[in-house]
Amino acid sequence: MKKIKLFSNTPGFAKQTKKDWCKSIKKRDFKIQFKNKIFDPIYFQNEIEKTNTFDKNSNWKITAEIDISSEKKANKEALKLLKMGVNSITFLNFKDHNLEVILKDIQIDIIKLNFKKIKKIDFLINSLLAIAKKRQINSKKLVGSFYQKKISKKDYNQYIKLLPKFHYIQIDIESFNKKKPTNYYNPKHILFTYQPSSFFLSEIGYLRAFRINFEKKFKISPYIECVIKVKNNKYHSLIESCVKSIGSILGGCNSLIMNSKIENKLNIQQQLILKHESFLNKVSDSLNGSFLIEKITQEYTNGYQKKEKLKHRNISWNASEGIKLKSKYSSNDIKNVKHLDFGAGTPPFLRGPYTTMYCNKKWTIRQYAGFSTAEESNKFYKKNLKAGQSGLSVAFDLPTHRGYDSNHPRVSGDVGKAGVAIDSVEDMERLFDGIDLAKTSVSMTMNGAILPIMAFFIVVAKRKKIALSKISGTIQNDILKEFMVRNTYIYPPKPSMRIVSDIFKYTSKNMPKFNSISVSGYHMLEAGASADLEIAYTLSDGLEYVRTGLQAGLKIDDFAPRLSFFWGVGMNFFTEIAKIRAARILWAEIMQNFHPENPKSMMLRSHCQTSGWSLIAQNPQNNITRTTIEAIAATIAGTQSLHTNALDEAMSLPTENSAKIARDTQLFLQEQTDICQTIDPFGGSYYLEILTQEILQKAKKHIKEIEKAGGMSKAIEKGIPKLKIEASAIKRQASIDNAKNLIIGLNCFQDNEYEDIEILDINNKLVQKTQIKKLNKIKKNRNEQLVNKYLNKLSKGCLSDKINLLSLAIEAAENKATLGEISMACEKVFGRYEANTIINSGIYAMEQNKNSQFIIAQKLTEKFKQKYGRRPRILTAKLGQDGHDRGVKIIATSFADIGFDVDIAPLFQTPKEIAKQAIENDVHIIGISSLAGGHKTLIPSLIQQLKVLGNSSIMIIAGGIIPKKDYQYLKNKGVRKIFGPGTIVVEAALDILNELI
Amino acid sequence: MKIAEYIKGVKTNNRAILSKAITLIESSLVKDQELASELIEECLNYKSKSIRIGISGTPGVGKSTFIEALGLHLIKQKHKIAILTIDPSSTISKGSILGDKTRMQKLSNHELAFIRPSPNKGQLGGVHNSTKDIITLCEAAGYEIILIETVGVGQSEISVQLMTDLFLYLTLSENGDDLQFIKKGVLELSDIIVINKMDLNIEKAKQVKFNLENHLQITSNKTQYVFTCSALKKLNIKKIWNQIESIFNAKWNNNKIQINREKQNGIWLEKILKAGWLEKLKQNSRFQKIIAESQKKPPKNPRKKALDILNKLSLK
Ligand SMILES: Nc1nc2c(ncn2[C@@H]2O[C@H](COP(=O)(O)OP(=O)(O)OP(=O)(O)O)[C@@H](O)[C@H]2O)c(=O)[nH]1
Ligand SMILES: [Mg+2]
Repeated sequence: MKKIKLFSNTPGFAKQTKKDWCKSIKKRDFKIQFKNKIFDPIYFQNEIEKTNTFDKNSNWKITAEIDISSEKKANKEALKLLKMGVNSITFLNFKDHNLEVILKDIQIDIIKLNFKKIKKIDFLINSLLAIAKKRQINSKKLVGSFYQKKISKKDYNQYIKLLPKFHYIQIDIESFNKKKPTNYYNPKHILFTYQPSSFFLSEIGYLRAFRINFEKKFKISPYIECVIKVKNNKYHSLIESCVKSIGSILGGCNSLIMNSKIENKLNIQQQLILKHESFLNKVSDSLNGSFLIEKITQEYTNGYQKKEKLKHRNISWNASEGIKLKSKYSSNDIKNVKHLDFGAGTPPFLRGPYTTMYCNKKWTIRQYAGFSTAEESNKFYKKNLKAGQSGLSVAFDLPTHRGYDSNHPRVSGDVGKAGVAIDSVEDMERLFDGIDLAKTSVSMTMNGAILPIMAFFIVVAKRKKIALSKISGTIQNDILKEFMVRNTYIYPPKPSMRIVSDIFKYTSKNMPKFNSISVSGYHMLEAGASADLEIAYTLSDGLEYVRTGLQAGLKIDDFAPRLSFFWGVGMNFFTEIAKIRAARILWAEIMQNFHPENPKSMMLRSHCQTSGWSLIAQNPQNNITRTTIEAIAATIAGTQSLHTNALDEAMSLPTENSAKIARDTQLFLQEQTDICQTIDPFGGSYYLEILTQEILQKAKKHIKEIEKAGGMSKAIEKGIPKLKIEASAIKRQASIDNAKNLIIGLNCFQDNEYEDIEILDINNKLVQKTQIKKLNKIKKNRNEQLVNKYLNKLSKGCLSDKINLLSLAIEAAENKATLGEISMACEKVFGRYEANTIINSGIYAMEQNKNSQFIIAQKLTEKFKQKYGRRPRILTAKLGQDGHDRGVKIIATSFADIGFDVDIAPLFQTPKEIAKQAIENDVHIIGISSLAGGHKTLIPSLIQQLKVLGNSSIMIIAGGIIPKKDYQYLKNKGVRKIFGPGTIVVEAALDILNELI
Repeated sequence: MKIAEYIKGVKTNNRAILSKAITLIESSLVKDQELASELIEECLNYKSKSIRIGISGTPGVGKSTFIEALGLHLIKQKHKIAILTIDPSSTISKGSILGDKTRMQKLSNHELAFIRPSPNKGQLGGVHNSTKDIITLCEAAGYEIILIETVGVGQSEISVQLMTDLFLYLTLSENGDDLQFIKKGVLELSDIIVINKMDLNIEKAKQVKFNLENHLQITSNKTQYVFTCSALKKLNIKKIWNQIESIFNAKWNNNKIQINREKQNGIWLEKILKAGWLEKLKQNSRFQKIIAESQKKPPKNPRKKALDILNKLSLK
C-alpha cells in the first residue's frame, strides 16, 4: 500500500475572493432581501475591512407575562414561573391591586420586575417602594420596566430618583429609528422592544446595528427586549419561536418574551435549552466578524464605528471537547487562523462543497424511516413523498442487518422492529412499489448484509427497466465504524473490507450517480464521541476506504467523488457548525495527497442527522426545540441532506404526527427563513473560526495517531478508537450525572406534568408470521437446484479475490435466493465476527469523586456486602440483534466503580443464553438494555427461561428506549425497574440498592 | 436452602443449585462458611476422577480465548467441563468487571460447560481459598475437566499451582527475544508453556519456542513442554490437549497426581489455619482491642508488638 505522509508538504489551496466566486456562478441573481435592502448570499474577508461589536454580556433574561386577575393567583403563577427558570416577570393590568400579595415570597431584588398596561403608575410605584422598605431592600437597586408610551417630565424626574434602574418608556426599535423621542428621557430609561421576523440571519445584523449605533450615539448600551410572535400556524409553533429566539439572542437581545398562545412552559424551557444545552449564553456577540452578518450590520450603521474599550470582563469556559474558550472574541484572536480565505465550491470547500449552495439547490429533506413489512413501509414512504419530503432513506430491521431471514431462531424479537424486514427480492420490490427510482434518490442504511441488499435493489431496478446509470442514491457501506460503535457487522474486518471494495468496483463501473459509501460519524456521536473524535475517526475511515479502492485497482477520480459523509449534529450549536466546516478542510487536505485531477475528489459532501441521543423522554415536546436547534446548525454548516428526528425518537418509532413535525422543521427552515439565501452565513465569525481551527487541530492529532497505528483497520484491531469513544461517553455521562452539564427536564428543572404522547407500536410477532409466510411461498416457487448452484458459486467466489461478490450475489438474487441464504453462503467461508468487548474502568469514579450521591452509593454496596457476604452482582446484557452498546457499557463501568461486581454478557445473545449465564454467575440482578424495540418479546422470554432453569429470584431491570406505555406490561411480566433514556446512573444504582438491601 | 438440598442439587448437576453452592462457599458471612464446610465434607464423597488445570498469564495474553478454543475441542469429545475464572477487583472501588464470557461465547452457551467467573476480592493471591472448594463442588457435580483462569499478577500462579494437577502458562512472542519476559518463578512452576497469538508472527513464535526449549533443557530438572498456538485461529489446540492428557495419564498411573493432591491438602491446611487464626485472634476479647489499636496507630517496633501479643497466648 502506498504510504503517504498526512498533513505535510501539501501545496496548500487557493484563496477565493468575491470576484472568483462571481466568475464561477453562471447567473448572478442570488440575493437576500430584507427590509428593502439587498444583500449578496456570501461575502469575503476582503469585503469587510473592520468589524463592529458592542458591549453587552452574552446572557439574556427569560421573561414571562402574567395577567393579574386576582392577586393570589398572580402570585402563585409568578412563583411557579420562577421555579421553572424565568428570571423576569411582567405583570399585566395592574390597577389598585395589593402589590404586597402579588409579590409575596418573590425575591424582588434578584429578578427583573415589569408592569404592562398600568392603570395608576404612582400608586404602583408607591406600593413598590413601601414593599422594598419593609423588606429592607434598597429600592435604588431594583431593576424592572414600566411599559408606557409616554410619561410627564415631572413624574419622570421624580421617579428616577427613587427607582433609577427602571425603564419608564417603551419604544419599538423601528419607530425609534424613524423618529427619535422627546429629549427629556435619559436613554437608559428606555425599554426597546422588537418583533423579529423568521429571517433570523438578517435580523441578527439588524439588531446588532441598532445596538452599535445606539452605543456610539448615547455612550450606553440599549436595553432590547425581543418579542417572539408566532405567525405561521402551518407549523408547530416551537419551530418558529426557536428560529426567532436564536436570531434575537445572537443579535444580542437583553430579554426574550414569548407572545404566543402556546403554553408558557415549553417556551421557557426552549430558552433554557438554548442557554444550557446549546451554550448560546457563553460568548458575547458571537457573530462578531462574520462576513455576512457584519455586512448587514454595516448597512445600518454606515460602515465601521470605532469602539472604545469594552467594559465587560472576559471569562473563560471549557467546551466538552476539552477546548478552552472565552466569552468574547475579537480580530486579535484569529491572527493565527490560516483558513479564512478559503471559499465555497473550490478546494478545500470550507464554506461549502458547492459554489451556490442552497441558493441554487436546497438540501434534500431525507427522513430515515422503515418499519414492519415492506408493504407498510411503502405506504409510509409514499405519504411522505407527497407531503414534501424530497428523498427516501430506508431503515432495515436488525435481522436484515445481521444477515438473518425473518425465520431464523436467533431473531424472533427483532423482526420489523427498528426498521423494515427484507428477506427477498420480492420484499424489496414491494418496498419501492409505485416509486420512481429514476427520480427519487434512495439512501439505504446497510453495512453488514450489503451484498444481498444491493443485489436485491439492483434486481428490482432491472425488473422496473430502469437503467442503473440513472439511479441516484446512497448506500451506507461503512463497515469500519460498525466494529467501533454500532456492531451490525457480520463477517470479520478483512473479508468485510473486501466486500466494500467489490461494491466500489461494481458501482463505479455501472452506477455512476450512486454514492457507493456514506462514511458515518453519526453513530460515533451517538456512542458518545466528542466532535473532534467524530470527524477524526470518520475521516480516518474514509482514508482507509480510499486506500481500499486504490488497492482494488480503481483510480482516485473513479470513485472518490462518490464518497459521501454522514454526521450527527448535537446540541452544542457553534461546535457542531465548526465541526462540519473543519471536516471539509481536513478531507480536502487528506485527499490532496492522492493527487486527484478532479477537484470533486477532494470535496466532502454531507448528510446530517440530528442527534437521537440528545432527545429525552421527559417532556418530549422539548425535543422539537432540540431538533430545531440541531437542524439549524446542520444547515448553517452547509449539509447536503438532512434527517430531523421526531420528538418521540427517544422512545419509539415516529408516528404520523411526530414525523410531520420533524419534516416541517426542515420545510420551515427552507421556506420561511433566510438560510437558503445565504452561503456559510457565519463564516468569518471570530468565535466560530477559532472553534473551527481548534477542532481541526484536535482532529488532526487523532488522525495522525490512527495513521501511526497503521491505518484504521489496524487501529480497530488494537481497540484504540473504541476505547477513546467510550471514555468520552463515560465522561459525558458523568458530567450529566453530577450536573456539570445541564439537560433541561433531566438533571435540572424537572417537571412531571407533561402529556404522554401517543406512539407507534409494531406487532413483531405478526410481522414475523407474515414474513415467514412469504418466505415459504418463495421457496416453494423456485428452482432449488439453480438456487444452490448460484449460492455455491458465491461461496467459491469468497475464496479468492478474483470475482466480484456483488455480481455473484445478483445472480443468486435473480434466482430467488433469500437474504439469509446469500449471507450464509459468504459466512460459510468468512465466518461470523464476534465482538471484542473491552471495558474502561475507573473513569466514571474519577469524574464523580465529589458527588455525594456517588459516595452514598459506594457506602451502600459496602453495607450490602456486610449483610449478604458478597457484593451486589449484576449481569449487564443486551438481547437479540440490537448492538447499540453505549448504554450497557456505561452502566457496567459506572456500577463497577460504585462497587458492584459486574458480569458482562457477550452481544447478540438469546434470552435462553442470558438466562444460563445469569444463573451460573449467580447474579442478584440482570440489567437489560434495549434500544431497538425488542423488549416486549425478549424480556418476558428471558424471565420465562430463568424460571425453567430454576432461579426466578433474580431482579430484572430494563433500560434504554422503552415507551412509557410498555412499562406496565413489562412490570406485569416481572420486570422490577425500568430506566428511561437519560437516567442518572447513580440515581438508578441507589434505587436498585435500596430495593435490594 | 438446606444442606440436603444443596447436596442433592450438586449431585444431580442442577446448574442453579451448583451456582448457589458456589456463592455459599465464597460468602464472607460466618454462618455461611460453616454451612459451606459441611457441604464440602459431603461432596468429598462424590468426587469423580478429574483433571485440574491451571491457566495463567499476563492480562490480555489470551487466556479466555484459549479456554474457549480448548473447551470447544473437549466438548466435541463429550467431556463435561467446568471453568473457574478469577478476575481482579478494583482496589479502590472494590467492585469488579467480569468479562471473560465475552471471550468464551460459544462455550458459555454450551450445555456441557459450566463457567463461573469470580472476583478476587482484592486478595493479592488472585485465587482465594474458596476456589479449591469450588473445584470439589464441580467434581461432585460430575465435571471431568476443571480449568482455572487467573491473571498472572502477584502470587496467583503459586496459589493456582497449589490446587491443580497441571499448570499452563501463556505468553507472547512479541514481548522480547530474551527470556526475561517470563517471571522466573513461573517458568519453574509451569508444566506447559504456550506461546499464544502465533498468527501475528509465526516466525517469531517459532524462534521463541526454540530459545525457550534450549533454555529449559539446561536449567530445568523436570520435563516441560513448549508450544506455539493461536487461540483465536484455534491452531495447535489439539496438540496441546494431547500433551496435557498424556502427562496427566502418566502421572495418574504412577500415582503422582494422587500424592501431589494430598501434599496440596497439607499446604492448604496451613494456609487456611494462618488466615483463620488471625481472624480468631482479632475476634477474641483479650486481643481485639490491642490489635485494633495497634492497627490504628501502628507501633514503632512491630516485631516487639507482635511478640508481645503472641506471648500472651496460651494454648492449653
Ligand atoms: N491475534 C490473536 N489475538 C488473540 C489470540 N488470542 C487472544 N487474542 C486476543 O487478545 C485479546 C485478549 O484476549 P483474552 O482471551 O481476553 O485474554 P485474557 O488473557 O483472558 O485477558 P484477561 O482475562 O483480561 O487477563 C482479545 O482481543 C483476543 O481476541 C490469538 O491467538 N491471536
Ligand atoms: Mg480472561
